[in-house]
Amino acid sequence: MQNFAQEMQTAFALILTGDSELLGIVGLSLWVSLLAVLFAALIGMPLGAALAVGRFPGRRALVVLVNALMGLPPVVVGLLVYLMLSRSGPLGVLQLLYTPTAMIIAQVALVTPIIAALTRQVIEMLDAEYAEQMRSLGLSRLATVPVLLWDGRVALLTALLAGFGRAIAEVGAVIIVGGNINHVTRVMTTTIALETSKGNLALALALGTVLIAIAVTVNAMVSLLGQQSEAQDEVRHA
Amino acid sequence: MNGTGQQPELSSVVSAKGLDLTFQTNDGPVHALKDVNLEINKGDFVSFIGPSGCGKTTFLRCIAALETPTGGSLTVNGMTPDEARRKRAYGYVFQAAGLYPWRTIAKNIKLPLEIMGYSRQEQDERVRKVLELVDLAGFGGKFPWQLSGGMQQRASIARALAFDADILLMDEPFGALDEIVRDHLNEQLLALWARTGKTIGFVTHSIPEAVYLSTRIVVMSPRPGRITDVIESPLPKERPLDIRDSAEFIEVAHRVREGLRAGHADE
Repeated sequence: MQNFAQEMQTAFALILTGDSELLGIVGLSLWVSLLAVLFAALIGMPLGAALAVGRFPGRRALVVLVNALMGLPPVVVGLLVYLMLSRSGPLGVLQLLYTPTAMIIAQVALVTPIIAALTRQVIEMLDAEYAEQMRSLGLSRLATVPVLLWDGRVALLTALLAGFGRAIAEVGAVIIVGGNINHVTRVMTTTIALETSKGNLALALALGTVLIAIAVTVNAMVSLLGQQSEAQDEVRHA
Repeated sequence: MNGTGQQPELSSVVSAKGLDLTFQTNDGPVHALKDVNLEINKGDFVSFIGPSGCGKTTFLRCIAALETPTGGSLTVNGMTPDEARRKRAYGYVFQAAGLYPWRTIAKNIKLPLEIMGYSRQEQDERVRKVLELVDLAGFGGKFPWQLSGGMQQRASIARALAFDADILLMDEPFGALDEIVRDHLNEQLLALWARTGKTIGFVTHSIPEAVYLSTRIVVMSPRPGRITDVIESPLPKERPLDIRDSAEFIEVAHRVREGLRAGHADE
């Protein structure tokens, strides 16, 4: 640790000069996690809204299940996706193992329960407040869903952010199904794990810095967005 | 429709015949409404008064199709309550103002208009109009928490007025407000009723409020929830606040109180 300052210096140099290896890894990380969040949102948001507004047998059990799945251990998800995609697995013919697609699949499995559970919470809370009002305005229950989703958009953005945070910072699942192959499936977290064990602290630190910066920036953006939409309303009706 | 021939203008807006509503609870059935018969005519201001559990709110909710009766017949504008609900026959003012804290007052009032697909210009125009109607002009940009309780309740009334429903259903809208604010809002509500000619159904706990506002007072009593008296108010349509000191007013209030007491003695 004596040369920590020196390593840090090299790390910042890597970032500031736009090191191509570093950029490649960051780019792949963002690409994989953003796509994973997109697909997870497409599945998780309607599922969450349906759980919030729908009245069908087994709903409570499903809610408990989705909440429980938020705590899925990434390594186990990685293992299951690995088994599915491996040559002898049911989806082996697709030859997806050790590709970015495999990593996206694993992350979708991890992020979907988070987005679904948070969406359900947001929509259920709004529904409890809006339901009778909506009904008195002549709406059917199904017709209230888009209104609720739109009114809860800032809270839902937070759900997406939580999902993105989980995806971008996750290492266990993607290292198993991606294989950490240089220039193919090496993302920020897996590289940090690898380079640290190799003693190449500069690259690990540089990626760690970028990872933290991304997390902080996205959080700040969402919170600014929320404030701005409120301020706009204020101005428009002043 | 009414066949008397004397008042051909009179048309029935709400018609309840032998209305029953029984809730099934874990402690057995609860008779929320039993054999309720009532006609509400166009332009009436009808108050429902009675102790907790007498079914006054339940009856209002039946009219609004927020509850489904288990027996008897109920029509609103000649339709089933649910058809009337889908045709947006009524505006409903809930007990709590029920304004959404993340929306400004104007945006709260716009919510039903947005859902109904009014143009942006039409929305702004209507918001301006109803805010004036409830004496809140200039407060559209405020958030609910920046307003007093009385102002919030007025905003909630404005929301119910925004889309031209002929019927206004109000469930203890002023229950949580202090006496002075309540007096003021009662006065404003009467002025608004005179200006718009709406049919109003109004649930209250307060005898003076019911007598001051209504053309007709429906006295109800609990277990089972039923109507014990319907009082036609002899008071003129013009009602300054000090009418409450007149002999007529006191007489009507007395009859309401007697009705409430009789309902209690039945138990």
